[in-house]
Amino acid sequence: MRRRFAPGTTIADLKAYMEPFAASLGYKFNTEEWFVDEVLDSEIEILDATGDVYCPCRVRTGDPKEDATIVCPCIPFHNVQFAAMRKCWCGLFILNDVEDGADLLGVIDEPEKGAEVEVPVCRVGDLPTGSVRHAKVGKRDIALARVGDDFFALSNVCLHAFGPLSDGVLDGYTVVCPWHGWRYDVRTGTTDHPGADVKTYPVVVREGLVLVVTTV
Amino acid sequence: MTVMLYALSTCPYCRMTKKYLDENDVEYDVIDVDLLEADERTVVVADVKNLSGGTSFPVLVVGEEVIVGFNKAAMKEHLGL
Repeated sequence: MRRRFAPGTTIADLKAYMEPFAASLGYKFNTEEWFVDEVLDSEIEILDATGDVYCPCRVRTGDPKEDATIVCPCIPFHNVQFAAMRKCWCGLFILNDVEDGADLLGVIDEPEKGAEVEVPVCRVGDLPTGSVRHAKVGKRDIALARVGDDFFALSNVCLHAFGPLSDGVLDGYTVVCPWHGWRYDVRTGTTDHPGADVKTYPVVVREGLVLVVTTV
Repeated sequence: MTVMLYALSTCPYCRMTKKYLDENDVEYDVIDVDLLEADERTVVVADVKNLSGGTSFPVLVVGEEVIVGFNKAAMKEHLGL
């Protein structure tokens, strides 16, 4: 089996791997290059000692499932908090529209519960019109649909037998559940089955990114 | 006043915090949590979660105040520097 990171992995290797990954989620490396190099240098130390690039600012618990959520870049697991903080825990990654990453270094202030936040989930180009895909917003599973140039977000779980709506097909403004054909309006989350409507979330499109509006 | 630093040996902010405290002649105790044996680590991580509400490092405890990250302004204020 070929390892993701071979022995002798360098800072340049990590940058090349992580940059497109982060960009697809609306993030870039901190503009403070010395800091980026220092964090990645620490990650290589951790890689050599443990076999993966765990976040140098978070502690590993020994539980593989929990520790997987701090493998760098850990943006998908913490995207609600990060969008509110405008950076990842340590500030290795910052939101695309942050001009000066120096302002975000040092302090780790977890956002207050209840604050409204726009969470980038993908780039406009990642979701062709007439299609639907899965997105993770914090712990919530979302079906993200595109009709023309309009984007819609709704809970991914069909309330019939809990099929994944993001694997369904889009028929106009209707997503059809892949399991048993229940139909939901992506604009409202409504279905013609009683009491089985699903939650929808506002969506914003900005600078080529699709952002789902939610609360921390 | 007791000053206690929970740190990770691998964390840039922890190194910056240690350096800052040393440069300002602050007396403090430090635990590098990642270097503890597994059993002890579990106990200390639970303490850190109680103190800070998370598992980000460093966590600096100054008397009753808890400072997470490398926060110069907060350190200055609470350490009276």
